[in-house]
Amino acid sequence: MNKRGVTTYLLLTLIALWMLTPLTAWAEQTPSEKKLIYDEADILNPEYIEDLNALANEYGPKRETDFIVFTTDNPEDEDVVKLTEDFYDERAPGYDKAHGNAVILTLEMRNRDLYLAGFYKGEKYLDDSRLDKIRNKIAPMLTAGDYHGAFAEYIRTSYRYMGFRPGVNPDNLLFDTTIQLVIALVIGALVVVVMAFRSGGRVTVNSRTYEDSGDSGVISRQDKYLRTTVTKTKIESNNSSGGGGSGGGGGGTTSGGHSHSGSRGSF
Amino acid sequence: MPVIEYKCPSCGSGMTFDSTTGMLSCPSCGRKDNIEQIPDPLKQQVFAEDEVREYHCESCGAVIVTEPETSATTCSFCGSAVVLSDRLTGKLAPQQVIPFAISKEEAVAAFKKWCRKGLLTPRGFMTADRIQNITGMYVPFWLYDLLSNVDVRGQGTQVRSYRRGDYQYTETDYYEFYRKIRLHYVRLPIDASAKMDDQLMDKLEPFPYEQLKTFKTPYLAGYIAEKYNYNSEKLTPRAREKTMPYIESYISSTVNEYATVSYAEKQIDTTVKQAHYTLLPVWMVYYNYKGKQYTFAMNGQTGKVVGKPPLSKGKITAWFAGVSALSFLGLKIVAWMLGGGFI
Repeated sequence: MNKRGVTTYLLLTLIALWMLTPLTAWAEQTPSEKKLIYDEADILNPEYIEDLNALANEYGPKRETDFIVFTTDNPEDEDVVKLTEDFYDERAPGYDKAHGNAVILTLEMRNRDLYLAGFYKGEKYLDDSRLDKIRNKIAPMLTAGDYHGAFAEYIRTSYRYMGFRPGVNPDNLLFDTTIQLVIALVIGALVVVVMAFRSGGRVTVNSRTYEDSGDSGVISRQDKYLRTTVTKTKIESNNSSGGGGSGGGGGGTTSGGHSHSGSRGSF
Repeated sequence: MPVIEYKCPSCGSGMTFDSTTGMLSCPSCGRKDNIEQIPDPLKQQVFAEDEVREYHCESCGAVIVTEPETSATTCSFCGSAVVLSDRLTGKLAPQQVIPFAISKEEAVAAFKKWCRKGLLTPRGFMTADRIQNITGMYVPFWLYDLLSNVDVRGQGTQVRSYRRGDYQYTETDYYEFYRKIRLHYVRLPIDASAKMDDQLMDKLEPFPYEQLKTFKTPYLAGYIAEKYNYNSEKLTPRAREKTMPYIESYISSTVNEYATVSYAEKQIDTTVKQAHYTLLPVWMVYYNYKGKQYTFAMNGQTGKVVGKPPLSKGKITAWFAGVSALSFLGLKIVAWMLGGGFI
């Protein structure tokens, strides 16, 4: 193997190692389980609750945010946003402190309403549009009755989205490792094909090489105007929300004075 | 006798063309003669065509073994440079020649250098120590002067787009255009040897035409030369075909004020003004690698090398892996800078 080959393989090994580092970091965590799943509507099996709680406890510390699920039968028939805000004010959740960083998913079973809210770090990293994305992802699963799957998806997606700087679109294809890998492989293949193709020498003459420019040219030209057509299209204004029939809402402030982002919908 | 040799007037040794000085030189005593001033023996002799079937070396008397196309070679017994003059007269008389500017040693060195530069060539190949044979060969070409008269008609559009209020307006102007173009292509080379791969020869271009000389046989002394297999009429279609992309690109350059163009009529009328039979210098390199023979050609003036070298699977893999890994890393960094986090 030559020097260049060695360098390449070293580089590959380094990248592989670097990709694996987060995995080893995860393994070091000590499990001090915190109650994050409040299944007050009693829609989940106990082992599912345990499972989700473990998941939330695993991902939460990495984003310094509590991922909370709150289900309720809503005996007093209150609005889902109010329920969420009261939950935050009264129970004072938070990763760092009481009334701290948190993301809350409230599932209200009476009117089948759904609300996602981010507080503090949760608000900063999960703005209304990101919460909308999460809600749109899990609403069909909730409609189908797959509560456990939907909650797990909510925890994982919230965790993932919080890894992106606020303001960028986390679903940008450029951020997808698989897509990045595919693009990288395509670039590699293209470069190699071009190199192989050019190894036998290239044509280095062009259309001007043999042209006698003194004796070549346009002898006569005519350009006749025929007609003009005009088309007009309406410019779509950007201020319409993409929530559709079931979505919308947004953030607000709780009566306890905690500002939050939000996304509401039904399922 | 149809065999010409150049004996040194001083010492009697065989003289050959020297690519460094461009003169006929004697390897024994170092005498150099200016080719332009030597009377060409070819002009003084007249041969009936196909008169001779066997050539004898002037120096040793041995039969010169040649292929039917060969017009200059060296005697395989004594090594004298010989020119078979009946294959260079009459219809077969070349009009011009570009002599070699690169000597055999320089050619070998240039070839080795080129091999080392090959990014995908196997390491064993890169040392270039298995050159089986390197031959300086004058390859017959026709240099065409072509005149094309082009008439094109068609429709073009110009598009403007602007915003007024809540609407985006797109205005498209339609024009009918006509262009009459005269294109003169000079000294377009087409290889006239059946043996030579056309694509390989096309890649050897360009040849420096400022080095074109009126043909004289001493230029061939010490090299192999071939006579043409195809006459200029036979190769005219190839010449036309070769100018087609040039003409097309010229046509589109004359209508570049339009955003879109559709041609209704395109008439290209090409006539051959003249075609000069010219010998161009090519070093042919025959190379053995792992039991297979590879053929390369080198422009005898510019040193440009063409020909398919073997490709190393290991190097292809390494490059593919390396470029992919770097691109992946690059994409990760771009994603990270855009705010995407590393996972």
